[in-house]
Amino acid sequence: MMILIIGGSSSGKSAFAEDMIVSLSKEKKKYYIATMKVYDAESEKKIERHRILRKGKGFITLEQPVNIQNAIDKIDSRECNALLECISNLTANEMFLGDIPKVADTVAGKIVDGIKQLNDNVSQLVIVSNNVFEDGNVYDSATMEYIKAMGLINEKLGMLADSIIEVVAGIPVYIKDC
Amino acid sequence: MRLIIGGYAQGKLDYALQKYHVDSRNVFDGSIPDRAEVINGTVIINHLNTYIRQSMTDGKSPETEIFDFIDKYPDCVIITDEVGNGIVPIDEFERGFRETIGRIQIELAKMAEEVERVICGIGQKIK
Repeated sequence: MMILIIGGSSSGKSAFAEDMIVSLSKEKKKYYIATMKVYDAESEKKIERHRILRKGKGFITLEQPVNIQNAIDKIDSRECNALLECISNLTANEMFLGDIPKVADTVAGKIVDGIKQLNDNVSQLVIVSNNVFEDGNVYDSATMEYIKAMGLINEKLGMLADSIIEVVAGIPVYIKDC
Repeated sequence: MRLIIGGYAQGKLDYALQKYHVDSRNVFDGSIPDRAEVINGTVIINHLNTYIRQSMTDGKSPETEIFDFIDKYPDCVIITDEVGNGIVPIDEFERGFRETIGRIQIELAKMAEEVERVICGIGQKIK
């Protein structure tokens, strides 16, 4: 089963997603698939905030900033749940990995395919994604391509997901119900 | 306290005025009023986002005044713009602003007896 959780910056989506997977998992093993790379003090602080947020919740953390399907090798049985946090970092990492940014279709295709495989290898998969679509700004072409990739991924995951929940100021709004 | 959240120019104030019949003298835009400025009846704080931005620009922490005000006026209506649905800003202050306002909105939503999201002038009760 796949659950997609979407929200803006500091909307409370991570805390909501963590609580959700904790309540879904009970005695089941649960993995936290982290995608953020440490590249400066700010990202380190962000990662630390998330670590504190999920401390004591019993997650096994897997670092998988690119090639999300490779997380499967680190999971020891299908009888577990996983929280993938988050699509925006994964997309940025995949897109800007080489010297030249990849096109949106390529990035979206690879990520969605990887997530499909991951979903086939766990019991319940909760995915956190971001609403990066509503600031009305026009950015440089690489950023616009990134937004396009995020849109494509959300759209495709939205089709695959059993349920979609938007988090607004910490409150869940049900977009697609299972 | 009631919280109204939504994108820029979505008709949030009009929605609130129609619903709560507030005296226009009790509508404060981007500011937290003193007791002397408030008359009897429901108070609306419009554009809380503007207040938070200004407070942060002045190097203050906006939380204290906001939560103190709600303590004094537990029946108030707070209106705030949703600003988090975009690309992470390059500017450090803007990033900090987005995070601070997000966290404040989560706290307000927890405290609120009702939370509504306004889109195209229509209120959607989400709590």
